[in-house]
Amino acid sequence: MSIQITEYIDVRERAVELGCNPPTGLALLPRNYDIAGSKDDLVYEGSTLEIRTLWRQARISETQIEKEGDRFPHIHERYAEWIGPVIFISASVLSQDPHAVSVALGVLSNYLTDFFKGVPISSRKVKLSLVVEDVGGYKRIDYEGNVEGLARLPEVIREIKNHE
Amino acid sequence: MNEAIVAFQARCGEVAKECQKFCFMSRAKELQAEAREVLISLEEEARVLKEEMIAREDEDSANAALSLEAMMRALANELGMWIALKEDKPGLAWDELISAQNTAGMAMRAHDIADNLGGYVERLHIMEKLLFPPQMFFSPGMVIDRSECSICGKEYSECDHIKGKAYMGKMCTRIIKEVKELREISVVYEPVDKRCRIDKIIDEGVAREPLSGRIISDTSAE
Repeated sequence: MSIQITEYIDVRERAVELGCNPPTGLALLPRNYDIAGSKDDLVYEGSTLEIRTLWRQARISETQIEKEGDRFPHIHERYAEWIGPVIFISASVLSQDPHAVSVALGVLSNYLTDFFKGVPISSRKVKLSLVVEDVGGYKRIDYEGNVEGLARLPEVIREIKNHE
Repeated sequence: MNEAIVAFQARCGEVAKECQKFCFMSRAKELQAEAREVLISLEEEARVLKEEMIAREDEDSANAALSLEAMMRALANELGMWIALKEDKPGLAWDELISAQNTAGMAMRAHDIADNLGGYVERLHIMEKLLFPPQMFFSPGMVIDRSECSICGKEYSECDHIKGKAYMGKMCTRIIKEVKELREISVVYEPVDKRCRIDKIIDEGVAREPLSGRIISDTSAE
């Protein structure tokens, strides 16, 4: 299992720059959000579609960065590992409803447990990135490991928040 | 779950146990073929039962029937692999093994009656490593503009179905409708679809089939 924490760009400023809705709660960001030349270049991970549906069914509210009428395409790659979307977690979620992060990740873990049925244990690899907003700026957490290891992420987020 | 499905599940369990006795290289090919026929006829019975459950709108039973259908298919595929190996058809044997792996996984995702197949799935993957040389595969990377849900026909991003889950006896898949851009074709060791394998390797002007190592044709190798 590997967890790497790095600095990330100002998510809200970037949204304005690209002509997108600045996220206010939980949001799913395109994979190239930080480097895309323009809004037309933004591409979501393919798994975004499933996560969006699962969160909607679990009544987890998400800010869609697409403005009305916008639709960003999705990448389709046929690798055995599961590559998740970039999940943005705003400072307001962390301070007012920290439980929402555990619930959102729990929904994801349950889905992945089913997703990996029929896949040998050694091949069940997950890649997921979180972007956390706090007073000190934005931090990106890159996770690589198995499904069970996702349970560690809320603790990592708390550590980042306490460190600020 | 519907009583007819419960009874059929018990029958499938008994037949599968008997047929697994033929899932070894040393077993006679004609006995393996007979066992395979028994499994194929059970798979057909499962399909008929599934249609009945769909007609009754009994989703749990329809998904259980789909799972049983896939279990019988997976075992038939495995026997197909052993038979193909004996007939010196490594390409067909590979396809049968990969189908067995995929179908066993589908059985597990379709209904929790197949939750005990974990060990069988691991066995199929061990066989891949033991019986065949390491293979390389193609994996495309595309940007998709529009895709459709196989269950409801709506835009996939707008419906409530999830690909890989069973709904009323059918597995949901995402049907790609519009490709914006083909970004890459990668050569990988761990693809999703192991049937997209490289089927010819040219070394020093000689083309070989990677599973058997046989020379395919000297003239086509450039």
